[in-house]
Amino acid sequence: MTMRDVYVIGIGITSFTRLEFPLSEIAAYPAMMAMKDAGTREIDHLYVANMGGGRVNHQTGLASAVVDTLSLTPAGAETIENGPASGGSAVKTGYMAVASGLHDTVMVTGAERMREVNNLEATDFVATLTHPIAEHIYGVTLPSLAAMFTRLYMEKYGVTERHLAMVAVKNQNAALLNEFAHLHQRISIEGILDSPEAMTNNPYVAEPLRFFDCCPVSDGGACVILASEEVARKVGRPLVKLAGVGQATDTHAVHEREDPTDLLAVRRAAAMAFERAGLTPADVDVAELHDAFTILEIVESEECGFFPKGEGHLALERGETALGGKLPINVSGGLKGRGHPVGATGIAQAYEIVHQLRGEAGERQVKDARVGFTCNFGGFGNNVVCLTFKKED
Amino acid sequence: MPREIYAYKCRKCGHVHYPYRMVCKNCGKNEHNEFEPVPLSKSGSLLTFTTLYSLPPDFEVPSLGLAIVALDGGITVTGQHRIDEPETGMAVRVEVEVVRRDGYDEHYGMVFYKA
Repeated sequence: MTMRDVYVIGIGITSFTRLEFPLSEIAAYPAMMAMKDAGTREIDHLYVANMGGGRVNHQTGLASAVVDTLSLTPAGAETIENGPASGGSAVKTGYMAVASGLHDTVMVTGAERMREVNNLEATDFVATLTHPIAEHIYGVTLPSLAAMFTRLYMEKYGVTERHLAMVAVKNQNAALLNEFAHLHQRISIEGILDSPEAMTNNPYVAEPLRFFDCCPVSDGGACVILASEEVARKVGRPLVKLAGVGQATDTHAVHEREDPTDLLAVRRAAAMAFERAGLTPADVDVAELHDAFTILEIVESEECGFFPKGEGHLALERGETALGGKLPINVSGGLKGRGHPVGATGIAQAYEIVHQLRGEAGERQVKDARVGFTCNFGGFGNNVVCLTFKKED
Repeated sequence: MPREIYAYKCRKCGHVHYPYRMVCKNCGKNEHNEFEPVPLSKSGSLLTFTTLYSLPPDFEVPSLGLAIVALDGGITVTGQHRIDEPETGMAVRVEVEVVRRDGYDEHYGMVFYKA
C-alpha cells in the first residue's frame, strides 16, 4: 500500500508556566493559534495528547471537551495517553490518519495542567508510570531512575557533574530567547556548580542529579495541524513535511535491561524515523531532544546517531550542540528551559522544528535549517517516539 | 513466617523473570500460569544507587536510598538501600521489609544492607 505524504500546515503554542485555565482551554488555545496560522477551520479529526487529566485535574474524555470548545463538532476526536510521549504518539497517530488517506486534515493538540497540584504530587503522578510492584512501591520516581542511570554513565563514559551543568546552562539560557518558555532566569556554571553557594542554589534532588539537572513542572499546550499535500499546497504556508515517524518500546522495569547504559528504544525509534524518511542523522540541522534530565540530552544525542556512543558529552564540550554549532540541540530551551507539560511536550518539540524549518524563529533561528528531528521519551525510555521533518520548496 | 519475593521461571524454557509477566520473554510460550515461582537470592552486588531527597508524599523521611542490585544467580532488581557509604560493586544482603506505608496498607519489598 502506498502512503501519502504528510505536511504540517499550522502550529500553535501557549506559554509554558503556571496557567490558571481549565485543561480543555489549555488544549484549545494553541489549536486556535494553529488554525489561524494555517488559515483553515476545516478539520476532519482531532487527536488530543494528555497524560494526567484524569488523575491531576479530575477530567477524563478530554478530546470530547476540546472538540466542542473549539466548535469543531461533529469531527471525530480521541484523547491519546502515552505517558510523557503522549505528544509524540498523537503526532504519529495523526500522521497515520493522513498518510493512510482516512483523513485530509488532522489537528493534533496536547495539554497538561500539572501545577494544579504541588511539585511532590506532580512528581508522584509521573512516577505512576514506573512498574507498580517492582519500582513504584519503593518510592522510585523518574528523577531517581535518571540518577541511577547517570551514575552508571559517569562511571562508564567519564561524564561528570560539570557536563550535566553545561547542558543545564546551555538549555536554560537558550530559553531566554523563547518567549513561550517556562524559565526565564539566566544561570551560570559558577552559580550552580563552582561557587560556595552552589550547594544551596543547586541541591541534590537524587544524587548525582541536582535541582538544575531536572526540568520544571509546567502547565502548557501545543498544537500542530497535519494535512495531505493537496491541502498543504492550497493553504500556502511554507511546506514542511513530516517525513518520518518511529516508535519503539523497552522493558517496563528499568533494571531488566541487558545493558543498563543503553536506551535501546531511543536507538530503534530514531533509526525507524530516519529510515522511513530516507534521511540519516548527518542530514539533521536542528534537533529537539527530551532533556527531562540533563543526562538524557547527552545520551539521546548518541542513541539517535548524531555522535558515537559515549561521546555526546565531548560534542557538548566542543560547543557543537549549542546555537551556532554543528548540530544545535534544544534551541527552544528544551524541556529544561521551555518546560515539560508532559502530554504537550512531544507536540511542542514538533512546533519548534516547524518554526525553525520555516525560518521564522527570530533570534534563535538555526541558519538554513532544512531537516529537523525530535525525540519524545516516555517512561524511563520504555516508550519512545521520534519524528523527522523536512523543508520542501 | 519469613516473607519471600519471587521470580518467575518459565516451565518450558527455564527463563527466569522478575518482575512477573504473562508471556515468557525468551520462548514466547503463550499459556496461562506456565511460570513456577522461585525465591529470589538473598545476596548480590550493588549495580547503581541514589539518595532521593525529593520524596513521594507517602514517605515521611528526609531522604531515601534506592538501588539496583545484581542478585547472585543472574536476576537484577530494584529496591531500597540502607547503606551509609554505598559504592558500586559492593556486596549486599537482601531483607524483605515494609518499604512503603500508604494509609493502613503496608507494602513489603527488598531492602539492601552491606553484606
